[in-house]
Amino acid sequence: MTAKQPILQIIDLHAKVEDKEILKGVNLTINGGEVHAIMGRNGSGKSTLSYTLMGHPRYQVTSGKMLYKGQEISEMSPDERAKLGLALAFQYPVAIPGVSVSNFLRATTKAVRGKEIPVKEFRQELKAQMAKLGVKDEFLSRYINDGFSGGEKKRIEILQLSLLKPALAILDETDSGLDIDALKTVSEGINALATPETGILLITHYQRLLNYVQPQFVHVFQDGQILKSGGPDLALELEERGYDWVQPSPAVAAK
Amino acid sequence: MAENAANTIAKERVCDLATRNGEPRWLKDLRLNAWEAYLKLPAPNHRHEEWHKTGIEKLDLSQYGLLEESKSAPGKARDKSELVAKSIEAAATLTQGYGATGTFVELDAELASKGVIFKSLSSAIEENEDLLKTILTGDKYVPESDKPDKFALLNRALFQGGVLLYVPAGVVIDKPFVFNVDMPAVASKLAIFPRVIVILESNAQAQVVTVSGDQAASADGGLFVDMLTEVYLGANARLSGVNVDKLSDTTYQMSKTRTHVERDAHFDYLTCGLGAKQIKSDFETVMAGPGSYSRVQGLVLGSGSEQYSYNTTQAHKTPNASSDIIFRVALKDKAQSIYQGNVLVDKIAQKTSAFQSNKNLLLGQKAKADSIPRLEILADDVKCSHGATVGPVDPEQLFYLQCRGLSVQEAQEFIVSGFFVQVLDTVNITGAAAWIGELVAQKIHS
Ligand SMILES: Nc1ncnc2c1ncn2[C@@H]1O[C@H](COP(=O)(O)OP(=O)(O)OP(=O)(O)O)[C@@H](O)[C@H]1O
Ligand SMILES: [Mg+2]
Repeated sequence: MTAKQPILQIIDLHAKVEDKEILKGVNLTINGGEVHAIMGRNGSGKSTLSYTLMGHPRYQVTSGKMLYKGQEISEMSPDERAKLGLALAFQYPVAIPGVSVSNFLRATTKAVRGKEIPVKEFRQELKAQMAKLGVKDEFLSRYINDGFSGGEKKRIEILQLSLLKPALAILDETDSGLDIDALKTVSEGINALATPETGILLITHYQRLLNYVQPQFVHVFQDGQILKSGGPDLALELEERGYDWVQPSPAVAAK
Repeated sequence: MAENAANTIAKERVCDLATRNGEPRWLKDLRLNAWEAYLKLPAPNHRHEEWHKTGIEKLDLSQYGLLEESKSAPGKARDKSELVAKSIEAAATLTQGYGATGTFVELDAELASKGVIFKSLSSAIEENEDLLKTILTGDKYVPESDKPDKFALLNRALFQGGVLLYVPAGVVIDKPFVFNVDMPAVASKLAIFPRVIVILESNAQAQVVTVSGDQAASADGGLFVDMLTEVYLGANARLSGVNVDKLSDTTYQMSKTRTHVERDAHFDYLTCGLGAKQIKSDFETVMAGPGSYSRVQGLVLGSGSEQYSYNTTQAHKTPNASSDIIFRVALKDKAQSIYQGNVLVDKIAQKTSAFQSNKNLLLGQKAKADSIPRLEILADDVKCSHGATVGPVDPEQLFYLQCRGLSVQEAQEFIVSGFFVQVLDTVNITGAAAWIGELVAQKIHS
């Protein structure tokens, strides 16, 4: 283990939305260089965890800690967290009609990097990433997430993350809605985000993503908690047997 | 507004105006007739549908003076570059410097040789009296409205300054004619009556940009602007127009735009409300011939306690015509807007297609917007639809942008400009969209 701070430490995190408790004591530590996968039933609270990590105003932390590189982030606004190095690829990316993809990418990249990027330099970088992710040129003049297919939106999410270069990338069902070729390209994009200094949290329903992006840790999320953690084999087992058989890990059961 | 003659502008002043300007008898008579008709119409009050929430009762016109002289009053005209963005390359520009030394026109010789007329109304009275008489008297161009309007009549009695654009049949001009109404900083209350007349004969094509700008009045001062725009599009003519009202918070503006669209002609217009104490602006568009089309769009960004009231009428008097209305309104602080859209389809106007959309974005906690559609459809084979939305910025959009590093403020700016871009994208006057986008950005920031 490195002596460095973990990228992310979630300690007994409880959060509610509209007075309904959804997260009920999440514990998770992600170190630099690690890929963690979270799997779990619909409605178990996976997206809630990702929104809570990014600071969605509707999701309120009621107790527990969220430490990013040792720093408590729960009081920070989403843009402050983004500037620190957190990024979320949305399960359902939000359309902003009238805002072109190119203007959007430029403004957000500038905001996160905290400095002006020369137009030409940015263009080059953008074109290179677009080529890698198979994002068509004509997408640039269209409005962000407006009228794009589900798969196209997911590619654009990963394109954004590849420009923002977050230290903690949270990917909420980025693989849903992708055809098999898209899955491969997008997975390469996700793998390119991984460095020894970054942590990746993959939320997914499908083991097939994990053939391309290999996690060291797999967690089963249930009823607002991590019920069980294991290695890559756990994903295979879930794929085969569903969720019914999963027994809580001792740490969780003790609570 | 008060009910009696004593509380409005006195009749003698109408006579004075005509005499002082040395106008011909027929014009003086027109003014007096309009003034009589004006007096006979009941004063509007907030109980009249289209005057809801306009605070019209508080307007006492007897408090307002008229410009003593149209041609040389004190003050200094501003550089025209202050008024119109450099991004617009004009075919010709006319700056009406109210209360300023003069009016500037630049029209190139080639256009003039084709018979294009672009000049101040006062020059047109002197130099093109017959044409102007035909336009202002008979029914050849813009006929009388079915619904007489108090302030349109007042303008017809008192108009001073203004512009005539006349494009002969078949002449096509692909750069805009720019008309700047440049109003002075005033220390007292002053009423101004600009009149804009645009005539495109058959198969002509032109673009117009009108800008109403002023300089903030001192404590006791304030402008009342009563503007009348009349547009006639002959068969198969095309007019694209943009108008920007960017006035200070001591100015009231009432304006009426009446457009008559003949067979196969297209009228495509965008009005932008970017400031004033109050703007009430009416668009009455008559689809007069089959195949005619009109699209009137609005872009309104209000702040402070500004009030906007837009009334549109899409009058279909012929079969097979179509019309679109698209108004987008964003309101900061406690700004208010009311939009009322009338669709009138005559019994004979089968196969009409009329569409209306009004979206309101409330940025300020105390901002308010109302949207009222009114459909009077007498034909039975028509396609008409309307839709309206009023609401705050979508919190999911805000969150998405924030997650990408933009502050709430920056995110809102993005969302608001995007909201308007959908209207601006349709503007085909080169440079206009960029210029308006810039004005919008400035106002969002302020
Ligand atoms: N804004 C909200 N208001 C009310 N309930 C909410 C809200 N957001 C989430 N929930 C509830 O919280 C629970 C967890 O939702 P969440 O979206 O986190 O699930 P998920 O694990 O991501 O599911 P999926 O696999 O379907 O994406 C669900 O029961 C959901 O209905
Ligand atoms: Mg989810």
